[in-house]
Amino acid sequence: MKAELSPRRQVFLYGLLCVLLIPFVFPTWWMVTSSVKPISDIFAFPPQLMPESYDWTTYAKVFELQPFVKQYWNSAYIAALVTIGTMIVSSMAGYAFARIKFPFANTIFMVVLLGLLIPSEVTIVPLFQMFLKAGMVNTHWPLILVPIFGAPSVFATFVMRQFFIALPAELEEAARVDGLGRFKIFRKIALPLARPALASVAIFTFLHSWNLYLEPIVFLSSADKFTLPQALTQYTDAYGGPMWNIQLAAATLTALPVLLVFIIAQKQFVEGLAHTGLKG
Amino acid sequence: MAEVTLSNVRKSYGAVDIIHGIDLGITDGEFVVLVGPSGCGKSTLLRMVAGLETITGGEVNIGGRVVNDLDPKDRDIAMVFQNYALYPHMTVATNMGFSLEHRGGSRAEIAERVKWAADILGLAPLLDRYPRQLSGGQRQRVAMGRAIVRDPKVFLFDEPLSNLDAKLRVVMRGEIKSLHQRLKTTTIYVTHDQVEAMTMADKIVVLNGGKVEQIGAPLDLYDRPANQFVAGFIGSPSMNFLTGTITTEGFSAPGIMLPLPEVAHEHKDRKAVYGIRPEHFALDENGVPAEIVLVEPMGSETQVTMKLGETLVTGVFRERVSLSPGATIRVRPELGNIHLFAADGGQRLN
Repeated sequence: MKAELSPRRQVFLYGLLCVLLIPFVFPTWWMVTSSVKPISDIFAFPPQLMPESYDWTTYAKVFELQPFVKQYWNSAYIAALVTIGTMIVSSMAGYAFARIKFPFANTIFMVVLLGLLIPSEVTIVPLFQMFLKAGMVNTHWPLILVPIFGAPSVFATFVMRQFFIALPAELEEAARVDGLGRFKIFRKIALPLARPALASVAIFTFLHSWNLYLEPIVFLSSADKFTLPQALTQYTDAYGGPMWNIQLAAATLTALPVLLVFIIAQKQFVEGLAHTGLKG
Repeated sequence: MAEVTLSNVRKSYGAVDIIHGIDLGITDGEFVVLVGPSGCGKSTLLRMVAGLETITGGEVNIGGRVVNDLDPKDRDIAMVFQNYALYPHMTVATNMGFSLEHRGGSRAEIAERVKWAADILGLAPLLDRYPRQLSGGQRQRVAMGRAIVRDPKVFLFDEPLSNLDAKLRVVMRGEIKSLHQRLKTTTIYVTHDQVEAMTMADKIVVLNGGKVEQIGAPLDLYDRPANQFVAGFIGSPSMNFLTGTITTEGFSAPGIMLPLPEVAHEHKDRKAVYGIRPEHFALDENGVPAEIVLVEPMGSETQVTMKLGETLVTGVFRERVSLSPGATIRVRPELGNIHLFAADGGQRLN
């Protein structure tokens, strides 16, 4: 039974939560409001929490200065392909590690997990050389293939394996008695039941791909191939200085789909966090 | 329907033997219960028949066909699991028709079979629900429906009632029994509950440590247990045992001399175990003294824990007698219902 809080304690707790909220909400607030401020107002002192004048032309300039729609599309389709690919690979690999008895399964899984310990910065140069030889530099293939078969997929495989391990073995046995083979058991029984885990994998993979920064700047060189995080750095003036308000307008537009997805799928997101055992 | 024969069936995990060569014949339409304490190998044996466990040695034969190397789906069996194993993402109807769907049944045929099974089990109003929306008893019925819908040769039940409360267990026990009487499908049923075994089985197989202790009809096992293990396992409250020596005067147990039937004297001077069921004590002025320790009135009978010499035993009396702890009563073991077992090995002597 929940203990009732006294009104005074409730006020105190809500007040504390409001204070704690500031570091989380302020950057987003600053990004959105600054995107419509004239550049001189962004650094005004004291800081303006609300813009004194609204300059909406910054949003138009985002599209004028860069092929932003194309870059938006690049990010979107790469993230979608990576998400789908990772879901397929990680669910099958996770199922195999959890359910199929094969020699050295646990050792192989440990070796796979070790992939998580290698920072992407370490592998980026060899990967670049590999993709250069394959003629894939300045294409989107490295941004699609590396996450699907790299560290993000390893993490997703781990999440899926933990889920499949917890699935009652009797369900699978009942399916075997009912006449299903291994792959059908996976597709008809295990996979539909793994929806919460798959949702968390999808959310994390999408976010990871959407926010990917290092790989695009290494692999891509033409503006029409850029993804959004990379494109954000391109809003500079003639002297190479950042055009803050336009950059923040682009950043707002970049964050928008993620914010929308988060608001719509808040429940799954939180459940996903619980699934992965991460704190975000 | 089919006969099931197990010939010298063995199961080992590495060097550890779990099942030590079991021979068992189950006739067509028979309801056989495998019973035994936890870890005796009964579920493993059932899973070997189902094809969910490999067979280390011997032969499993279903309907005249050796099935050792066949997949579960090719054995023409249906299994009801302890935790029901209903597919949580499917409705009751889909759960029940799932196996038929994967065996290429037409939609009309599947719907007809599901309806037939649902009618038998009273599931018709629940067909569109999901397992999470059902009570324990309803889930159990759906699991049974899933089994009968395919009309398999053999039903396998793996402790299907252990997740239910005591009252529902009694109801479901009756339902399974009447379902068997109606369908007459060969059934192998695993339980650790000897009451379930007694009330449901045509034939009971008592297992212990991966070996068969005794096979027989419920009352045969109750009346003439082959050894002390079966005697103690079958019956509730369980049989009382007193260790001592067979003498010409009777059975000499610590602190008391108990009467013996004439036939027992051929084992004179032998160390033995004297077994008597709680209901086979009669209140008798000429009986042996027993000090009452605990009285438990059950309504229909009174269960009394008492001291016979130095051994605590349980007696069950149908009569409404006034008994109180600390008092001494006189009880007479019914001579026709005394069981004698060898002190070494526990084999039946009389």
